[in-house]
Amino acid sequence: MTEDVEMKELPAPSNSATSSSPSTLNHLKEIASLIETGAYAREVRRIVRAVRLTMALRRKLKAQVLCAFLNFALSPGSEPHNRLAAHLPKEDEHEMEFDTATSVSQSPVKHPLPELEIYCYLLVLIYLIDQKKYSEAKACSSASVARLKNLNRRTVDVLASRLYFYYSLSYELTGDLAEIRGNLLALHRIATLRHDELGQETLLNLLLRNYLHYNLYDQAEKLRSKAPRFEAHSNQQFCRYLFYLGKIRTIQLEYTDAKESLLQAARKAPVAALGFRVQCNKWAIIVRLLLGEIPERTVFMQKGMENALRPYFELTNAVRIGDLELFKSVAEKFSTTFSSDRTHNLIVRLRHNVIRTGLRNISISYSRISLADVAKKLRLDTANPVADAESIVAKAIRDGAIDATIDHANGWMVSKETGDIYSTNEPQIAFNSRIAFCLNMHNDAVRALRFPPNSHKEKESAEKRRERQQQEQELAKHIAEEDDDEF
Amino acid sequence: MDPKLAEVSQLFERFKAACAREDVDTCCNVLSKLKVLLTGFSSLPPLFEDTPNAIHELTLARDIYEHAVLLSVKIGDQDAFERDFFQLKPYYTDASSSRLPPSSQEYMILGLNLLRLLVQNRIAEFHTELELLSSTALENPCIKHAVELEQSFMEGAYNRVLSAKQTVPCKTYDYFMDLLAKTVRDEIAGCSEKAYGYLSVSDARQMLLFSSDNELLQYIKELLLPVLYESL
Repeated sequence: MTEDVEMKELPAPSNSATSSSPSTLNHLKEIASLIETGAYAREVRRIVRAVRLTMALRRKLKAQVLCAFLNFALSPGSEPHNRLAAHLPKEDEHEMEFDTATSVSQSPVKHPLPELEIYCYLLVLIYLIDQKKYSEAKACSSASVARLKNLNRRTVDVLASRLYFYYSLSYELTGDLAEIRGNLLALHRIATLRHDELGQETLLNLLLRNYLHYNLYDQAEKLRSKAPRFEAHSNQQFCRYLFYLGKIRTIQLEYTDAKESLLQAARKAPVAALGFRVQCNKWAIIVRLLLGEIPERTVFMQKGMENALRPYFELTNAVRIGDLELFKSVAEKFSTTFSSDRTHNLIVRLRHNVIRTGLRNISISYSRISLADVAKKLRLDTANPVADAESIVAKAIRDGAIDATIDHANGWMVSKETGDIYSTNEPQIAFNSRIAFCLNMHNDAVRALRFPPNSHKEKESAEKRRERQQQEQELAKHIAEEDDDEF
Repeated sequence: MDPKLAEVSQLFERFKAACAREDVDTCCNVLSKLKVLLTGFSSLPPLFEDTPNAIHELTLARDIYEHAVLLSVKIGDQDAFERDFFQLKPYYTDASSSRLPPSSQEYMILGLNLLRLLVQNRIAEFHTELELLSSTALENPCIKHAVELEQSFMEGAYNRVLSAKQTVPCKTYDYFMDLLAKTVRDEIAGCSEKAYGYLSVSDARQMLLFSSDNELLQYIKELLLPVLYESL
């Protein structure tokens, strides 16, 4: 494939331009044959591989290549071909005819497999979205979803789930997400009936995204709690699910669960998905602040994320110091960023944490301090700061955040001495929780060792083994290159 | 006008008259009749059909449910409030985007709902509802009042909560503010128990906002009663 790239980069006359696109066309033809063999042999793995190869070709798709491929895969003049070709723009008529002539002479007219048809839909859709032709993409995706409702083959499932994703994406980019909610719910029902687990996963994530886009956290949680759950088939879908779950839990004030989900999503996400990881980290930082712990500086210094996380870094600083004035100024300074991230309401909740941290610092540094001074240090700018400070300190004492007593008559707060912590059971409890965590991780890792299905049934022939090894090499190469453009 | 619509409008006028007279029983009866009649209209949620009288019917139904909500506050029935509010919500979210003019009481009722969730200590739902509000809604005094109340409650500045009783935006809030005052009083008592080594009776009375020592002693007896039973 590297030779194709070099050929394209040369200042090429139109001849070599057409000669480079047939090689993309050849790749597409190879992929088409792969899909055919996969469909006939009922092996889903080949279709997955075909899709992965397509993603690598994504940058090179051009209108005439697509037209040529459509002519090759679906007989020209047939109904599916007409429907699809209508979505493509008509460029370079004479080039197209040249390609059409060669390709038609090379291959006999064949009866199109449903998989090939869906694959063509997918190609056209990807091309339209990459070209930013969103309204056409919308029309094309609606047509493809209508077509998919009639098909019930397991081999189409992989392609179908990709189609659903682009369907939702095209509607989101045109701002019409609410329209397709009913459709997505119906598709999810159908996928569940057909035991199409990848489709169920994808559609559940798309529905959650739909609800969260409009801030309908209540409905999203209701759907998520009732939908059937199973082992994740796709890592990317699982990451997305964890992220949406984390968001829902944060809004519902269940910060510990939220922190777990968000941190797991950030860790599992592929390194190439920078935007996604930035979002996960933003929410994870806020959840940790709400839990009362300060995230370390290294979190903000991760590669490529420094600029995006800058507002959150300053916010963390304000919370760490416990200074209400600074917190207010930071919140105002970056209010546009926070509103666009939809974290504005959460930041408002942080005010309570700032006060707590400030109070904790004061309680540690002073053995006895008057409540008026406490109010001044916390910079409580209310009508009656001393009475407020008294109530706030009383609540903090009851919640166990600080160890002190209030002397109402004299109006001061007296901190208690912190005893020797090693004489209590605290260290033992801390050790116990850490050991439990490590053991859990070990058990999860053992459980996660997955074996390919049917491996104990048939003995591999030499040919099959060669093919499998070739696939594994390719997969390793893809992972190593980190060029994996999976959605 | 459509005969069904005319009948509903007439009944609604009777309902409003009964409300003005503070005649609670008639109100409840007429309200149940109204709700049964409303099921005859197909332009209402969940069907949302586009009949010729749709806008008129939707506005009328919304008014009816708003009055139902206010009635439930008057009689102090929180379950009825919840039921009627859930019926009312689609009119604010789904219908408003398309055709209905905004209702004048929308923000007040939304604020009332937030206050109710706060009083019932359903803070998670409070925040979920808050997320659904646009930024213009958050500027409205009714809603801002509820939000600030929640913040003061979370921080522990209970005196602010009790003083906010004076600054309610509308009279209907009084019912919930009284309930909130009771909750706050329990919270203050709990905090004071842990925080103060020693507190004089007059100070305690001031903090808990009792008007006389007797009330304070009565309250303490009620608090200690479960403890006494256990020690028995």
